[in-house]
Amino acid sequence: MTQFDKIALTRRDALRRGLTAVAASGAFFAAPRGAFAEDTLGEVKKRGELTTATEMQFPPFDISDNGVYKGLDRDLVDAVAKEMGVKVSYLDLPWTSVLPGLEAKKFDLCIAPVTITKERMKRYAFSVPIADATAALMKRANDSSIMKPEDIAGKTVGGQKGTSQVEQLKAFAAKLPKPVEVKEYVDNNQSYADLAAGRIDASVNSFPNLAYAAQQRSDTFAVVTPPFGQPTYFSWVGRLDDKSLMDAINAAILKVEADGAMAKIQKTWFGQTMDLPKTVPEPTI
Amino acid sequence: MKPEVILHSFGYLAQAAATTVAVSFAGIVFGFLIGAAVCAARVSRRDWLKRLGAAYVSVFRGVPLLVQLLFIYYFLAEYGLDVPAIVAAVGGLSLSSAAYQSEILRGALNAVPRGQGEAATALGFGSLDIWRRILMPQALRISTPPLINEFILLLKASSLVSVVGIAELTRVSMNIASQTYRPFEAYLGGGMFYLAINLCLAALGALAERRLAAGSGR
Repeated sequence: MTQFDKIALTRRDALRRGLTAVAASGAFFAAPRGAFAEDTLGEVKKRGELTTATEMQFPPFDISDNGVYKGLDRDLVDAVAKEMGVKVSYLDLPWTSVLPGLEAKKFDLCIAPVTITKERMKRYAFSVPIADATAALMKRANDSSIMKPEDIAGKTVGGQKGTSQVEQLKAFAAKLPKPVEVKEYVDNNQSYADLAAGRIDASVNSFPNLAYAAQQRSDTFAVVTPPFGQPTYFSWVGRLDDKSLMDAINAAILKVEADGAMAKIQKTWFGQTMDLPKTVPEPTI
Repeated sequence: MKPEVILHSFGYLAQAAATTVAVSFAGIVFGFLIGAAVCAARVSRRDWLKRLGAAYVSVFRGVPLLVQLLFIYYFLAEYGLDVPAIVAAVGGLSLSSAAYQSEILRGALNAVPRGQGEAATALGFGSLDIWRRILMPQALRISTPPLINEFILLLKASSLVSVVGIAELTRVSMNIASQTYRPFEAYLGGGMFYLAINLCLAALGALAERRLAAGSGR
């Protein structure tokens, strides 16, 4: 090996190092904000608080009872946070602001029940299921023309725009002998109001939501059984890159299920218990 | 109809009404200050100031308040500026209302006959005195009815700040509707609070008009 080789080698080495440094600095400027900061789980632990958001207009999951946040989500997230050793803060946002707020990092976790679908899986990290989300129908209590889901053929059904339950309704209706008119609303409460007023014949939503609504106003509403949709589930949603936080949340949910606290919470809000998958299921829709 | 739904939620509604009043009041005050500055820019002799004022009005009057609120709260966060919800709410209301208020003030200034300023100059008034003792009092009197109008509009537009998570009156009415499954009663309750607040505002406006008219000799 001559001296020349050595120099050349050193030079090449220097060049390589230089390039690496340039590339690294480029990566630094190009990297999204916070990429080198502590991950969200670390931040949550340091802060001692998990910040969450939901729309508090989705009974029995999310209710604002004279300003006090209540519901299945509240009880469950409190239990989960206790497992994780942190406190929880809750933010009430309109549904249209919840997922944008999650992406803008305004909070750590969306505890609004979100139906697991193939489309949403690409954009968000889902927790293990927290409840059944199978689509069902609700009718006026005094309407004897709808006794099973297929009876909505030729009638008008309302639901919340953009929900997977409305999509399932459309798929179900396509197979019926007579067409179903689907009316889409900004939220389910308007669909319920129109059902009570007689403008539509049925409302579509997840079975637990409808069961609760019918129980609260049994003089007006009744659930059409059985649910017509394919089995689907509600989960909480986090950001795709917050894997460590979602792992911790999942572990805590499973623990809450294992020690029987989940069954107690379900009894409080659904009046019955239900079994849930222990992993994030493959979406069927 | 179940009136007890409203009675049961009365405290919750009252609390939300207080939030609506507080957010709107801050929006009115800051909106007036910014609006006065924008108006001053628009009537200034400097060309660049005039244009700046005109550009401000075009942007903040041309973009819907809802979009402005979403922009301030969510999109600035993407660029590392984390605006708290209450700041986004008051900021959005003030910036948007300032555009309207500045035009109301400018219109009122223009409505004061030009000859008055000229006459005052001829009588030896300084320019500050002309502004303070002749133009301003008359412009304020002319602008009172449209300003009160704008305040009432702003109070009702404040229902939009719920998109950044502020529990104001409309939002809380919706919460009550969803919890009780009785939307009619919930919105009736919310509507009554709005009406009560706006009647107070209108009464204050009438009082202000009477006070300001005292020296007009008309």
